[in-house]
Amino acid sequence: MIKKTDHSNGWILASPAILILSIVGLIPLLTVINYSFFDIFILDKRYWIGLEWYQELMQSPRFWASLGRSLLFSTCILAIQLPLGILIALAIPKRGIWVPICLMTMSVPLLIPWNVIPIIWLNYLRLDTGFLGQFLSFFGLDFDWKFNPIHTWLALILMDVWHWTSLVILLAYSSLSTIPTAYYQAAAIDRASRWQIFRYIELPKMSGILLMAILLRFMDSLMIYTEAFGINSGGPQNATLFLGIDLGEQIKAFDYGPSAARSVIYFIIILFIVWAFKTALNHQKSGGTR
Amino acid sequence: MKKYLKIALLIAYIALVFLPLVQVVQMSFLTTVSAASSQQPVFTWLNYYHLFTSPTLGAAFFNSITYVLLNICLTIPVALPAAYAFSRYSFIGDKHLFLAFLAFRVTPPVVLALPMFKIFSLIGLINTPFGIALAHCLFTIPVSIWILESFINAIPKQLDENAFLDGYSLPRFYYEILLPLLAPGIGVAAFFCFLFSWVEVVFARILTVTNGKPITMAIDALFGFSTDMGLVMAVIVASVIPGMVMFYFVRNHIASGFTIGGQ
Repeated sequence: MIKKTDHSNGWILASPAILILSIVGLIPLLTVINYSFFDIFILDKRYWIGLEWYQELMQSPRFWASLGRSLLFSTCILAIQLPLGILIALAIPKRGIWVPICLMTMSVPLLIPWNVIPIIWLNYLRLDTGFLGQFLSFFGLDFDWKFNPIHTWLALILMDVWHWTSLVILLAYSSLSTIPTAYYQAAAIDRASRWQIFRYIELPKMSGILLMAILLRFMDSLMIYTEAFGINSGGPQNATLFLGIDLGEQIKAFDYGPSAARSVIYFIIILFIVWAFKTALNHQKSGGTR
Repeated sequence: MKKYLKIALLIAYIALVFLPLVQVVQMSFLTTVSAASSQQPVFTWLNYYHLFTSPTLGAAFFNSITYVLLNICLTIPVALPAAYAFSRYSFIGDKHLFLAFLAFRVTPPVVLALPMFKIFSLIGLINTPFGIALAHCLFTIPVSIWILESFINAIPKQLDENAFLDGYSLPRFYYEILLPLLAPGIGVAAFFCFLFSWVEVVFARILTVTNGKPITMAIDALFGFSTDMGLVMAVIVASVIPGMVMFYFVRNHIASGFTIGGQ
C-alpha cells in the first residue's frame, strides 16, 4: 500500500478534469433539475408546478414496473456475466503468444457500435436464415422474440452476455496477472486445492476490480437503452420496457417536464448505488489488507 | 487433463462469440435478395465496392474517427494530472471527488441528453465532431482517470521523491520521467476512450441534427423500405476494424494490471 502525502495540490491537478465534467455533467444535471419543476410546452413558456411531476411518477405503476424489470434484468446479467467472466479469465494462460490472441478475439463484441448489436442479433435469430434461429428451429423450437415475452427476455440476456462478458474477462484477467508467482508456489507447497487457491489467493486479489466490474455492468445494464430498444422497442406489451427505454421514449416525444423529473430520479438511484459501491470498496479495503 | 478442459472452454467461448460475427461477414459477401423472390444470394464484392465509393459512408467514417481522436486528445491530458493527484496525494474531499467522477461515468447518456442538446446549441457545438468529443468526455475522463491511476500506483513513489530531490519541478518531472514510464498506461486509457466513444449512440445521435453524422447514424440511415442488408453488414465489418487496430497496439499492456485504490 502506497503511503499518500497530504497535499492541497490535488485539487489543482484535478481541476481541468473537474472543469470539463462540470460542463458536460454538472451543468446539464442542474438544468434537468430545473426543468423538472416546470410544466413546459415550449421552453420560453413554462409554468412552475413544483413537485407535481415527481408525485405523478411516484404514483405511476408503469414506473415501478419498469424499475422492477430493470432490476431483474441487471440481476440476471450479473449472475451470468460475473461467474462466466471469472471462469474464462482463469482459463486463459498466464503468459505466451496466446494471451493477446485470446483477449483480442474475445473483445470484438466490445468494439461494435451499440445500435448495430441488435441488428446483428435480429439477423442471427432469424428462423429462416439466422444461424441461431436455424439451429433452434432444427430442434423444433419456435423462437418468437417478437411476441413471446420470455423469448424476448432470453434474446436480450443472451445478447448482453455476448456483448459484455468480455469486459468482465478483461478486468478479471488483468487483476489475475498481477498476482506474484510466489503466491502460487506457496500454495503448492501447502498442497492447497484448486478451490482453496481461488478462494484464498485469487478472489481476494481480484475483489477490488470485481467490485468495479460489478458496478459498471450493473449500472450499464440497469440503464440499458440502445440495444434493448433495437430488439423489440420494449415489447411485447411492455414486457421489456426498461427504465432507459421509458425515458428515451419520453425524451423523443419532447416531454420536457416529466422526462426531467424522471432523469432526476434515475440520477438519485445512480448516486445511491455508487455510494453503496464505494462503501463496499472501503469496507473491503480496510478489512482485506493482507 | 485439466489443461485440455481449459482449452476446450476457451475455444467454446470464442466460437460462441464469433458465430454471430461469422454470419455478418458471410452476409457482407452475398448479394441482397428480397424475401419474395426465388433468387439465391450469390457471392459478390459489390457491397464493399459500394462501401468504399459511397461519399456519405466515407464522410461518416471520417466524422467518427475525428471525434474519437479529438476525444482522446481532450481526455488524456486532463485525466493524467487528476490520476496523479488521486494516486499520490490525499487531499480534502478526494474520496467524494472520486465518487462524483464515478457517478458521472455510470450516468446514462439518456439522462443528460436533452439539456446537453440545449446547452450545446447555445454555444454552437451542434453538428460538430468537437461537440460529440466533448460530450463523450462525460464517461471517458472518469474511466481514464481510473486506468491511469492504477498504472501510476504501479510506479514506486521513491521515483517521484528522488526526482524532486534532484531539483525537478512537477511539470518537468511529468514530461521527462512520468510520461515515458506511463506510455503503456496512456495507450490502454486511449483504447478505452476509443472503446466507449466509438460505440456510443445516444449523444452521437442527438448532437448531430443535419451534419457531421457518425458511422453509427450512417448505418441507421441505411435502413429503409428495401434495405440492402449486404451493404449494412459490410459497413458493420468495416466499423469494427479501427477498434481492432487500436487493440493491436495495446495488446501487450491491456492486461498488465488494473488495480484499484493502490493495493
